[in-house]
Amino acid sequence: MSNPQLEIQLIAAIVAVACAIPGVFLVLRKMALISDAISHSILPGIVIGFFITQDLNSPLLILFAALTGVITVILVEVIQKTGLVKEDTAIGLVFPTMFSIGVILIAKNANDIHLDVDAVLLGELAFAPFDRMLISGMDMGPKSLWVMGGVLLVSITLLILFFKELKVSTFDVGLSSALGFSPVVLHYGLMSVSSITIVGAFDAVGAILVVALMIAPAATAYLLTNDLKRMLVLSVVFGVFSAIAGYWLAHLLDASISGSMTTVLGIVFLLVYLLAPKKGLISVLYRQKQQRTEVSLITFLLHLNNHSEKSERHINHLQEHINWQKVRSKSVVDLALKNNMITIDNNIVSLTKKGKEFTGKALDYILTNRDDKIENIKDDFFLFRG
Amino acid sequence: MNEKLAISVDDLTVAYNYKPVLWDIDLEVPEGVLMAIVGPNGAGKSTLIKSILGIIKPIAGSISIFGKPYDKQRKLVAYVPQKGSVDWDFPTTALDVVLMGTYGSLGWIKRPGQKEKKAALEALEKVGMLSFKSRQISQLSGGQQQRIFLARALVQNASIYFMDEPFQGVDATTEIAIINILKELRKAGKTLVVVHHDLQTVPEYFDWVTFLNVKKIATGPVKDIFNDDNLTKTYGINYKVAVNK
Repeated sequence: MSNPQLEIQLIAAIVAVACAIPGVFLVLRKMALISDAISHSILPGIVIGFFITQDLNSPLLILFAALTGVITVILVEVIQKTGLVKEDTAIGLVFPTMFSIGVILIAKNANDIHLDVDAVLLGELAFAPFDRMLISGMDMGPKSLWVMGGVLLVSITLLILFFKELKVSTFDVGLSSALGFSPVVLHYGLMSVSSITIVGAFDAVGAILVVALMIAPAATAYLLTNDLKRMLVLSVVFGVFSAIAGYWLAHLLDASISGSMTTVLGIVFLLVYLLAPKKGLISVLYRQKQQRTEVSLITFLLHLNNHSEKSERHINHLQEHINWQKVRSKSVVDLALKNNMITIDNNIVSLTKKGKEFTGKALDYILTNRDDKIENIKDDFFLFRG
Repeated sequence: MNEKLAISVDDLTVAYNYKPVLWDIDLEVPEGVLMAIVGPNGAGKSTLIKSILGIIKPIAGSISIFGKPYDKQRKLVAYVPQKGSVDWDFPTTALDVVLMGTYGSLGWIKRPGQKEKKAALEALEKVGMLSFKSRQISQLSGGQQQRIFLARALVQNASIYFMDEPFQGVDATTEIAIINILKELRKAGKTLVVVHHDLQTVPEYFDWVTFLNVKKIATGPVKDIFNDDNLTKTYGINYKVAVNK
């Protein structure tokens, strides 16, 4: 692996981590689209900043462009507060306007500046190692590595300092305000960090793909955990994995690095969406099927419990009476047999002692809806796990 | 009854988009009462609580908690928002939500430690939810979620408790458990302000009541003012509730 290759991967990984952190809070605050708005509206900020500084990696340019991002958020809120349009409409009004101002500025000055619309939309990581950081003639590595490293450092420091405040204001705005943690301050803090991150990452991954880096890792992690800290860690892991894997995919296909990174992010999300142990699609479908069988089982046991006469307990009669198809009847009877809840003698079904106890408990639970009634049978059955 | 005033609201007016939601409210709540705020939907009950807590900025009026502005008295006040106001799919556990109650006394940046965790566990035990401490909050029933919110307020160890519809969507067992805890708090000298919907239970649960419908209709001891006259004035229709006089 050559040095530039390593540098590109390092930059990609740092961009991914820096995006994943604010991304988690945007997803939890249901503000994912705001990142899209910010990433597009900073364009005029970048262009004007570039006129002034003549350097795409200047910290001044980053602050200037980030300010445009915050202004976008404010504009969206102002339009929304009029009550005339909803938030999504407000977002849809603001960012294309800002973006087009940027596009016009680039077109009008295309001869003077080193910016084109393609690079703005998609970024180009492959060129990142060419722009070096020189301190009194010494090569300190790629400039964008330093820029994103700086952004990440700020972001992590703020996260560690204000984790508790971010958590409470994200979960419960009212409480946060009553406790004295101003939700307004925290909101704009988060928006500022998001803007700075997006501006920093813009050069590498472009305006469209930076949204994927913010939202996809957080959305994937959300499916896997019930703990905010773990969600942050998992987002970072998914982000870094997709950055590195995306780089090598691009290498293999000879395609755009940022495009490949985003593709990997999409694939990772799809896999987790299908396979996640609790919230995953397959596990949900499996659980629903189990629950249907178990509801049937309880219906079946209750029927046995209610009828002592043999005619009501004949296996064929049961099929007709409860009105199930053969397969279902068989799977229910098998499940009851497997759990020693019934015995079948001469085609007459009887509840065992265990079956009676189970039915009693299930009845209690259905009638009182209290969890302590069923503590012991919870482990065997999905139905009671809530 | 202690003569000290826990809450004092003067000439409070609140408006959303120029439409008044609360109009010239004067309200004095003595220390140590368990007070219900009743009124029809849109009467401004939640808004009144939120204005006292500084969550909503009023367009006029002043509010004091034990004689001082709310900003200075934050630590004396606990707040239970409406259960529906938060996202219960948030990735966190019951214990963690209760711990949030300790954030106020910690202030900015400082993290909760062992002391706060112990207090949170005690509060969970008080509401009968200790065995659910590690449960993800979306896995709790409505009644259990309400108990978690109550535990979060208990851990604040406040002098005044504001609760926005704590009985909404809870089963009878939880309702009794909650009201018993509220009555215990009153016995310990705390002041409680509860937005309440079920008029039938007002005389049984509360000793003080405020009738609200954009304007304040009446406030005082339940035994003196909880009558058909005030109910009719508040709800606008002829109300008949069996009240023991």
